[in-house]
This record gives sequence, C-alpha cells and structure tokens, in this order.
Amino acid sequence: MQVTIQTFIGGLSLGAIYALVAMGFSLVYRTMGLVNFAHGNVVMIGAYFASTFYLSAKLPFAAAMVIALVVTGLIGIVIERVLRPLENKDFDLMLIGTIGFGIVLEALAIIIWGATGRAVPSPVPGAPLDVFGIRIRTYDLVVLAIAAAATAVLVLFLQRTKRGAAMQAVAMDHQAATAVGIHVGRSNSIAFMIGAGLAALAGGLVGPLLYVSPAMGGTLGIKGFAAAILGGFGSIPGAIIGGLCIGVLDGFTAGHFQGYSELVTFLVFTVIIMVRPTGIFGERTVNRA
Amino acid sequence: MRYRVGGIALLGVAAWLLPYQLDSYAIHVVNVMLLYALLAIGLGLAMGIAGQINLAQVAFFGVGAYVTAILTTKSGWGFWAAAVVAILAAAAIGLLVGTPALRMQSHYLGIVTLGLALAFTNWVTNSHLAGGAEGITGIPRPQLPGVDLSSEYLFYYVELIVFAVALAFGIFVVRTPLGRRMRAMRDDALAAGAVGVEVPMLRMTAFLFAGVYGGIAGVLYAGLIRYVAPETFSIANMFLLLAMVIIGGRQSLVGCVIGAISLALVRELLVDYPTYAQVAYGSVVVLTVVFAPTGLAGLPRRVTGWLRRRGWLPGGAATAGALRPFQPYGQAPAPQAGPMLEVTGVSKHFRGLTALQDITLTVPAGQIRGIVGPNGSGKTTLFNVVSGLYKPSAGRVAIAGTDLTAARPYRLAQAGIARTFQNLRLFAALTVRENVLVALDRSRIRSIWRYAVWQVGVWRHDRELRRRADQILERFGLTDFADSLPGALPYGIQRRVEVARAMAATPRLLLLDEPAAGLNGEEVRQLAEIVRSIRGAGVTVVVIEHNMGLVMSLCDQVTVLSNGRIIADGEPARVAVDPHVIEAYLGDSTVIDVPAAEEATQATEVKL
Repeated sequence: MQVTIQTFIGGLSLGAIYALVAMGFSLVYRTMGLVNFAHGNVVMIGAYFASTFYLSAKLPFAAAMVIALVVTGLIGIVIERVLRPLENKDFDLMLIGTIGFGIVLEALAIIIWGATGRAVPSPVPGAPLDVFGIRIRTYDLVVLAIAAAATAVLVLFLQRTKRGAAMQAVAMDHQAATAVGIHVGRSNSIAFMIGAGLAALAGGLVGPLLYVSPAMGGTLGIKGFAAAILGGFGSIPGAIIGGLCIGVLDGFTAGHFQGYSELVTFLVFTVIIMVRPTGIFGERTVNRA
Repeated sequence: MRYRVGGIALLGVAAWLLPYQLDSYAIHVVNVMLLYALLAIGLGLAMGIAGQINLAQVAFFGVGAYVTAILTTKSGWGFWAAAVVAILAAAAIGLLVGTPALRMQSHYLGIVTLGLALAFTNWVTNSHLAGGAEGITGIPRPQLPGVDLSSEYLFYYVELIVFAVALAFGIFVVRTPLGRRMRAMRDDALAAGAVGVEVPMLRMTAFLFAGVYGGIAGVLYAGLIRYVAPETFSIANMFLLLAMVIIGGRQSLVGCVIGAISLALVRELLVDYPTYAQVAYGSVVVLTVVFAPTGLAGLPRRVTGWLRRRGWLPGGAATAGALRPFQPYGQAPAPQAGPMLEVTGVSKHFRGLTALQDITLTVPAGQIRGIVGPNGSGKTTLFNVVSGLYKPSAGRVAIAGTDLTAARPYRLAQAGIARTFQNLRLFAALTVRENVLVALDRSRIRSIWRYAVWQVGVWRHDRELRRRADQILERFGLTDFADSLPGALPYGIQRRVEVARAMAATPRLLLLDEPAAGLNGEEVRQLAEIVRSIRGAGVTVVVIEHNMGLVMSLCDQVTVLSNGRIIADGEPARVAVDPHVIEAYLGDSTVIDVPAAEEATQATEVKL
C-alpha cells in the first residue's frame, strides 16, 4: 500500500510535467490547427537552457527558469514564422515540417552541449517529507505547485485578457477574427511563444527528475502528445488529466515491468485511443473545413 | 515512350556495370543505399499513395531483420526459410500497427505508429531473446547455389534484382485499379467511400505493403551486415527515412527512390560530421515542405510551369477544350414497380441538436423526387444518413427492399447508391478520367491476390475499365478534359464531372445534393436534360435543390423539410402553395407568387 501511494505521487509529479507539455501541444493546436511534432525537442532545449543558466552561470534556479522561458519562447516564434505559409493548408505537410524542425533542434543541441547528457541536482535539497509513513520528495511537491500555478495563469490569460480572448476567437474562426481586426499572424505567434514557454517550464522542471540529454525530447514529446490526445486534443483540462494519467501509468509500469515500461505504456495508450479516439473530454476540433 | 524504354534500359545496364567501378567500401555503401530505397518505396506506398501517416516503417524493417537473426542463430534455421517467415512476420506486424488507422487518421495515426515503433525498440533493447542492447551477431551467410554471397559484389546483384522487382511492382500497383483507389482514398476518404472504395480494407492493404517492403529490406539487411542491433531501428533513422521520402517527393515512388539514394549519398559524404548532416537534412525537410511540397519528383513540372508562365516555353495558357453536349442514355425498360428507397422513422441527433425527427418517406422506383426546405432543415443530413456517412439515431433505411440501415458507405455504394456532394468532392490529385475510373472499378479487395500471381489479369481489367471510362466521358461531353485535374476546370464542368463519376458507379439510386448550385441558366437547362435522361435509363433520382424553377419542372414529387421534419409531400404545384411550406420559408402565411411548372423550364433562378 505504501509503495503504491509513493509510486502514485512520484507518477503525479512526472504527470504534471507531461501535463505542461500536453498543454503546449493543445494550445498551439487549438489556436492554429498545427500539431507541433518539434514540441518535445523544444522541451529538451528548454531543459538545457535552464540547466545551463543554473549550473554553469550559477544563477538561482528560479532566475534560470525565467531566462530559459524567455529564450525558448523566442525559438517558438522563429518556428512559427518559418512554417506560417503552411498554416490552414495541408495538415500532413505541417506535421512533417515540424518533424524537420525537431531533427534540426536535436542536432543543434548535440553540437552545442554534446551528445552525452548531464545530471541536474535538485534545487530543494533536504530529506523527503514523511507523511503517515509515506515518503514524499520535496521536489515533487514543488513541481506540482509550479505546474498548478502555470495552469491557473494560462487559464486566466485565455479567459480574462483581451489578447487571450483574441486567441480564442482565432481558434474558432480565423477569417472572422481577421474581419474584426485581429492580427491572426501575431496571435498565432503568441500562441506558439506561450507553447514554447510551457515546454521550457516543463523542461526546466524535469531536469532534476530525469537526466538532461539531447534524446530526452523524443520520449517526453511523445508522452506529452499522448497525454494531450488521451485527455482530448485541444482541451486544457483534458491536457491536465491526460498528463497525470500518463504519468501515473508510467510510474506503475516502470515499477512492474522495469525495462519494458515504455512498451507497456504505449500499448495501453494505443488500446485506449482505439476504444475512444476523441479522448476523455473529446477533441476541441478547430473546424476549418 | 520509346525514350522511356531506352532510358530504363540504359539505367539497367549502368546499374549492372556499376560494381566494376567501385572499391569494396563503395559497394558496401551502395548496398546499404539500396536497402534504404526499398524502405522508402514501402513508406511512399503507405504515406504518399494511400495517405496513411506511418512512422513505424523502421520497426517493420527491424522485425524482418530480427526474425531472420533469431531464427538462424537461435533455432538453427536456414537463411531462406527464416527469410520467408521474417517477411510474413513483418507483414503481420504491418497489419497490426495498421489497425489503429481504422479508427483514426493524420496526427493521431502519426503518434500511435510512432509510439508502437518506440515500443518495438524498447522490446529489442531489453529482450533476452533479441540479444539486448548488444544485438545478435553471427547470422550465417545466405547460401545460393553457385553464387558466393559473402562477396558484397555478388550480394549487390541479389539486392539489385529484388529492388528492381519491388519498384516495378510498386509502380504497377500505383497505376492500376488498386493504387488508383488508394490515391482516391488519400485525396478524399469520404467521397471514395461514396463511390464504393473499401476504405478500411485499403488502409490495411497500405500497411500490409509497408510491412512487406520493410520485411524484405530487413531480411536483406540481416544477410548483408550479418549483425543486428537496436540502434539501426531507432527513431532517428525513422526520421531520416521520412526525410528521404519527403525530399524525394512522397507521391511518386521514383521520387522516393531518388530521395533515398541522394540523402544516403549526402550522409555518406558527411559521415565524419553526422550531427551537421542531421542539421542539413532537417533544414532541407523544412524547406521542402514550405517551398516544394511535391519534392524532387515534382521539380520538373514546377520548373516547366514556371518557364511557361514567363513565356520561355510554348504551351502557356491551359490548352482548353470545349464542353461537348451530353448524349442521352438509351431508353431502358421501366424498372419493376415497388419502392426503391424506404426511410422509416429516421431520427438523427448531434449531442443536444435534433437534425432529423422521425422522417418517413418512400421513393418509388423510376421517380425523380425533389427534397426542398430552408437552410438547416436537415436535407443534407438525410442524404448523409441514406448514403451511410451518418448512423441514424433511430429508424431504418431500406434500398429496394433490403434493410441497409447504418451500413458502411462502400457497402451502400455496392448496393447501388451513388451521390454527389453539395461542396464538390472530386479527387483533387486524380485526373478527370481517373476520377471516373475509380467509380467504375467494381473490383473488390478479395481480388487483390491477382496482384501477387496474375498481373496480366489486372492489366486486362484495367484496359477494359479505361475503355468504358472513355465512353462515359464521351457521353457527358468531357472527353477534352479527360487528362486535366479537376481543380483546373471551371465550376460548371466540375459539377458535371461529379455527376459523371456518380453515374460511372452504375447506380440504381442517385442522390444529387444541390446539383444546380453555382450553375448559370444554360447549365441548369443541360442539367435538367441529363437528370431526365438518367431517369429514362432506369435510375431513381432524389435531388436536393434550392432552385425552385428546376424542382418544379423536373420532379415528379416534392418533399419539404423544415427543422428536421417533413411538413409537406406531394406534387410540386400543390406543395408550392401549401401554407405550411410558405410559412416555413417566409415566416408567415403571406402567399407568394410561385412560378408555375411550365415557365419554370426557362430556369428562373428563384433561390428561396
């Protein structure tokens, strides 16, 4: 029982990371109908920036995160600008274009930081908390708190600000949005920047949990994407639930199947998605037919 | 044609003589290149031809290689026996990975296939049977009587022959009925189903091909390298393969091969700088999708198009022909009496919205039935239920007495229903002739065995189809546009192509969804003539139309829908003065002046 609960909580903190990745996917998808397969690699770049500012520049962890967020956000803007001609056109081509970006980002990371990874020490040292005999890593709580705060800020932004409302309008009908004077390109650019920022946040937070390496983008991206689809692509609450589910599933398969955990996670995911292709909350379809 | 045969012969001779020019390292590089080319053909068939995003090609490759390795080293099988089992295993895995395609497409399919590919690498890295991270060494060299296959020079010839056969077979598939149906499905799966293409089975076939090509490449890899390890089948290599297909041009198998060979060459040149090579090919992929989505294979056409526009090449403006008059069908004996279409108590709900409420209507054989109603009254929804695109929430649909409620669209098409669409759904990348050919083609998926053993039969069948397609094009006056892409034609002609395509499927019941929308007066008159002739040939017609003049003159009986219910049903002239109908259109019972049936033939475009 104790083990189960501990695994569960460990899974939740990893799941919070997947949820952040999934939210980035969903935000970009619902505003511009683009599935960004480079998203995982953007997470990896974010993780490297955060760890570089934290370890090499000796900045405090929070400051390192903020800088990493801004720099990675700029990379997001660049990707959006290059792929802009494809927006609202061939869906499959866009998908492949972002895969191309992913390939480039991974290679650049190898050139800049080397092919071997690095371990990032936890920014909140100290013994695990002991709650009724269950040992909880302090850092897990930090991750959960930051992820929750980020989600709250994002939802407030989308619902309470003019800019956020404009983005929702673009998501629903980009032509009508243009007609009422919204700059669709700029709105998409901001969506992509926020998506990349969420990726950087996820990357920075995951650094101390996993090992930062150029290859981490692939797995994190695919699991984040799986989380987004599981919850219902394009839905923010769906991304959170999906992320936590995949995280917990991951935690338990890692415990039970050791090396085969990935195999089991993806098989389970495939079966779930076969049974219910629109995910738990149903896809928020960007209807542009 | 003669140049083409000569070119292929020349390429063949060059390929045959190639090893004499190469040192032992270079021949190894060429051998690996050919394997990539094989994989690229398989991926091109699934992705470019059938439109199925398949990011598991590298796993099929891995299954072929690993099964060969395991059977020869652990079970002591001979190489060729193991090879056969390996290809079968790869084909089976292909079908397995393809099953999600029955439920989802595009990015969903991408993520699922990618996930399954990751699951495969995860399995081989951990499994004791597959040798873990170290892989399997000591695969015996394949034996061929009289040929020493340990020599890479001789192995080259084995690969070359396999490659040539595989490419020829791939091109054969693309150009014959099977490939044409796949391309139709890629362009518009919905319309393909509506003309009788068995979409689910074809998707599986696409994955079957991908699996077989991957398996063959895997077997050859095991025979060539005689060592397998997980990193060969990594996601990075999957993306490399994807880059080959995209850069080469996914919709052309030759393009895929060119892409594979050129990218493999570039990778070889940059072998000391693998990461820089990765930056390079990643960037080229991005540039290709943005600036040249058809890849290298599409370049010649783009270049000549550009030259024409600048006036440096003759041709220039579209060499347009003329739309010829429609040649009426011969009068068929009147179809036996009885209902052709029976809709009983059909309702359709979308979440909270009720689109159709308890619709009951019967269309007798040989009738032209009009369905009218204000926008949003459920007309197209009714068509979608009848043609199988939607499942009704309640009620039954029967065609000529057979209950076909909620049958798949292709089953209904085979049962004799054809339809056109309100917003024109022609297969965009197929010529007008091919659009008609897809609908003409009644061959079922079970006849696919002929591709494996009796290609001559396939070819004869195709020639027969082409002959009949030309007849249909001539009947509809479309001969001059046979080789044009539909998107390049004027709207009125596209409308006629869609009717021709629907009729090519030789239906008993034809559903026309706003066939006169966007047509001018003369075109509407021709349309009326065509529809009458179609009915004269014994086909029952149901038509949704807003052009009341056309409805009045054409239809034997009119059904009026409003808010998902039938509010009137009867002869056109009587329905037009029904107070309920007038109220539904105008909101109150002010009587309006409705054109009488006689003057309606002059196509007064009263769009209500």
